[in-house]
Amino acid sequence: MQMARPSSRLFARLFARLFARPLLTAWRLAGLLALLALLGIAAGLAAGSEGWSLAWHDDAVLIQAIRAPRSLGALAAGMLLGLAGALAQGLFRNPLADPYLLGSAAGAGLGVVLALAAGGALAGSAAMPPLGWLRELGLVGAAFCGALGGVALTLLLAGGAARPLQLLLCGVVVGVLMGAASDLLLLVSPEALRGRQVFLLGTTGFLGWPALGWLAGALALVLPLACWFGRALDALVLGDASARSLGLRLPALRLLLVGLMALATGTAVSQVGLVGFVGLVAPHLVRRLVPVTHRALLALSAAAGGVLLLAADVAARSLIAPQELPVGVLTALLGGVYLLVLLRRQRGGR
Amino acid sequence: MGRLLMLLVLLAALAAAPLRAQPAATVVGDSGRAVTVVDDRGRAIPVPQPVRRVVALLPSLTEAVCALDACDRLVGVDRFSNWPPQVQALPRLGGLEDTTIERLVALQPDLVLAATSSRALARLEALGLRVLALEPRNLADTRRVLELLAQALGRPGAGERLWARIDQRLSDAAGRVPPALRGQTVYFEVASAPYAAGEASFVGEVLTRLQLGNVVPAAMGPFPQLNPEFVVRAQPGIVMASARGLAEMPARPGWKALAALQAGRSCGFSEAQYDLLVRPGPRLADGAELIASCLARLGGRPK
Amino acid sequence: MSALAAGLLQADRLQWSVGGQRVVDQVTLALAPGQWTALVGPNGAGKSSLLALLAGLHRPDAGQVLLAGRPLADWPARQRAQRLAWMSQQGEAEGEIIGVDVVGLGRLPHQGLFGAPTADDMAAVQAAMAETASTPFAARRLSTLSGGERQRMLLSRALAAQSPVLLLDEPTTHLDAPHQRALVRSLLQRARAGAAVLAVMHDLNLALMADRLLVLHHGRLVADGPPDDAALQQRLVAVFDQAFSIAALPGPQGRRWVAVPAL
Repeated sequence: MQMARPSSRLFARLFARLFARPLLTAWRLAGLLALLALLGIAAGLAAGSEGWSLAWHDDAVLIQAIRAPRSLGALAAGMLLGLAGALAQGLFRNPLADPYLLGSAAGAGLGVVLALAAGGALAGSAAMPPLGWLRELGLVGAAFCGALGGVALTLLLAGGAARPLQLLLCGVVVGVLMGAASDLLLLVSPEALRGRQVFLLGTTGFLGWPALGWLAGALALVLPLACWFGRALDALVLGDASARSLGLRLPALRLLLVGLMALATGTAVSQVGLVGFVGLVAPHLVRRLVPVTHRALLALSAAAGGVLLLAADVAARSLIAPQELPVGVLTALLGGVYLLVLLRRQRGGR
Repeated sequence: MGRLLMLLVLLAALAAAPLRAQPAATVVGDSGRAVTVVDDRGRAIPVPQPVRRVVALLPSLTEAVCALDACDRLVGVDRFSNWPPQVQALPRLGGLEDTTIERLVALQPDLVLAATSSRALARLEALGLRVLALEPRNLADTRRVLELLAQALGRPGAGERLWARIDQRLSDAAGRVPPALRGQTVYFEVASAPYAAGEASFVGEVLTRLQLGNVVPAAMGPFPQLNPEFVVRAQPGIVMASARGLAEMPARPGWKALAALQAGRSCGFSEAQYDLLVRPGPRLADGAELIASCLARLGGRPK
Repeated sequence: MSALAAGLLQADRLQWSVGGQRVVDQVTLALAPGQWTALVGPNGAGKSSLLALLAGLHRPDAGQVLLAGRPLADWPARQRAQRLAWMSQQGEAEGEIIGVDVVGLGRLPHQGLFGAPTADDMAAVQAAMAETASTPFAARRLSTLSGGERQRMLLSRALAAQSPVLLLDEPTTHLDAPHQRALVRSLLQRARAGAAVLAVMHDLNLALMADRLLVLHHGRLVADGPPDDAALQQRLVAVFDQAFSIAALPGPQGRRWVAVPAL
């Protein structure tokens, strides 16, 4: 009973595991996602306003100026969202968590409305001088600052990142409050309605090389850091008390991870708007396919998120060319269908 | 029981009317004491004459009432009505979604003019008010609504006369467009996704009257969301957008290639001017003149 | 393990209140290495709270805990975790993580947050899993394991740390008789190897096999000594409201004490 001898094959797998090299299937998944990303980019370069065209030489200018940065930008934004989603689900140990939980979405929305209102009816009003710099900031800057501001407010209200439930509740409160403020502002400045609607649905249409620079920069900063601290999320799986007993300083670690999540979400949201489902679905997808620890999960979720958003972007452009569908609608469709399939498989027994 | 019947009739009428093509609101009869008018819901509403107190819940309807010289009869308007200046002193009764019912009823109007998509319709009628649901969406609608309103206000023919004046002004504006720019395609941006106004939209019709083309054909609908590449490929002759949108256009990836932007053949409108252009109302001639003036200014530039 | 300082854990007049209620009341004890101590008491006596205080998870209102002579609060978190392993009563762990990774987490204090597993870590994980016979389902996800299998996996996590002090809160939950026996043997083995083992035991028959018994009642330590101490046995029966009596059974290795329910 005590010394059940494992088979040698099992031992070999254990050895591989313990050397922290993911199992073969995890690498295979990474390879598959990389391949899909490449295919997606190729599709993105071919999907123009006239439909599909492989005449890349003729369209060289369009490809270089429009399609290339847009496809790469969608990939990068999706990676940021997938990573942020995995961070959120790990931090809150809840498979329904998404990166917009801590007030980042509501904050970004409020920032956008403030920026639009500042350029509109309120611009003439002498009562709003501080809003002048909001115009300088532009919509992208306003959304980014708004997202980070929302998370900062949540952290302030919750008194740090020590208690996850408290953090979640404060995030909900901040989201509701900022949403209400945004709605009130829209009553005063209805011309901001159009812009806000566009922001809420998400758009990859105007991603250029500078936008890609911001997205890639954020990714280069957040992804390695998150993976480096990934072990902390593994320890959290055991529960707060057990994680602390393992010698981890949880409040500081959680604060850092929340900060990384906010940075990733804020950057993505400021460039492509509030695209939903990517952050929620990407980690689920990875976990269903391969059981991995958080170091690999974070990286694979990023890859899965990137592929998802890229696919949605290409579909948004090609389905009713030259018209476009809002990319947020497509991620919801793709994500929703995937979740449905997942639920049915679970019901039917694994 | 009567209210229930009214609601059922309303529902039946709404169910019977197809979504886009509403039965044309027409004047049905004139019984002397009341003018019966069929509004955009297809309901025949008897309007007892004279109408002294009018509430308008849509900016274009407010402007129409004032253009028909009945501005003094207005007792309340919606939040967004801002022309002519004298309506700004009137009580504000909320927007499209949040009409303040109580305040409205307290004003004791003889006639309420509302949009067909207003949520207050059923409630107002249930309270016994006379409601005309009108929502002009294109030039033909505007003409029809003007005459219908004229009839309802007891001034038959004033609508047609007004339309004749508007029509004349449109033709004059078309004449002011420099010959070099006539027939040029226009890209009219409505929101920055980008959403464009196509030929089928109201502002698209105005552009057509000004003898200008549109990069967005009617088949794509009134306000399609476009692939930005489409605009770059289409190379519109003239670009029109809000001033803010225009300012950020060159920064968009690939849009520097737009010849119209490079040559400065663009018209940027302030928010107030923008309202003028997209509202299907009696001021559409003002909007057309705005465009014509902008084009006249551009007329001197080389292609 | 011999390289690390002797795992001497002392508690000095520990006191802790929660919501106005005194949960741990003036508890003084010392865990010596080489002994397996069982902590028993009725429901709500404060056993889990005492264990959590000893593990440094809560700060006591009064009194202190000393690890190898130093106050617990003075120890850096990681070094404390290398010397002291704690297993919770509530198995909160769940999810898609696989068994061997769970056990691997036990080595976190030695590896650090950023370190990669070494050969020592591997060996410790293998040994821990072998002790609880968890190796057959090491590659399965935690959410697919039964209650007993999960408990053994979590136990392995605590054992993998190979710490001189081992604090376990109700480790026999969900375990069937053979695995309970294996656990007890494992604990005894650890104790003989020099560790100080303290386990909260629900099952009095198993507890009576320990080297030493601590009896807790309303937060107070009412008895502390070997199980064959007659006075301690009397206190034990009294604390449980005479719900059982303690009898001696002759066994191959000498007398064995059992708790016989009194109906």
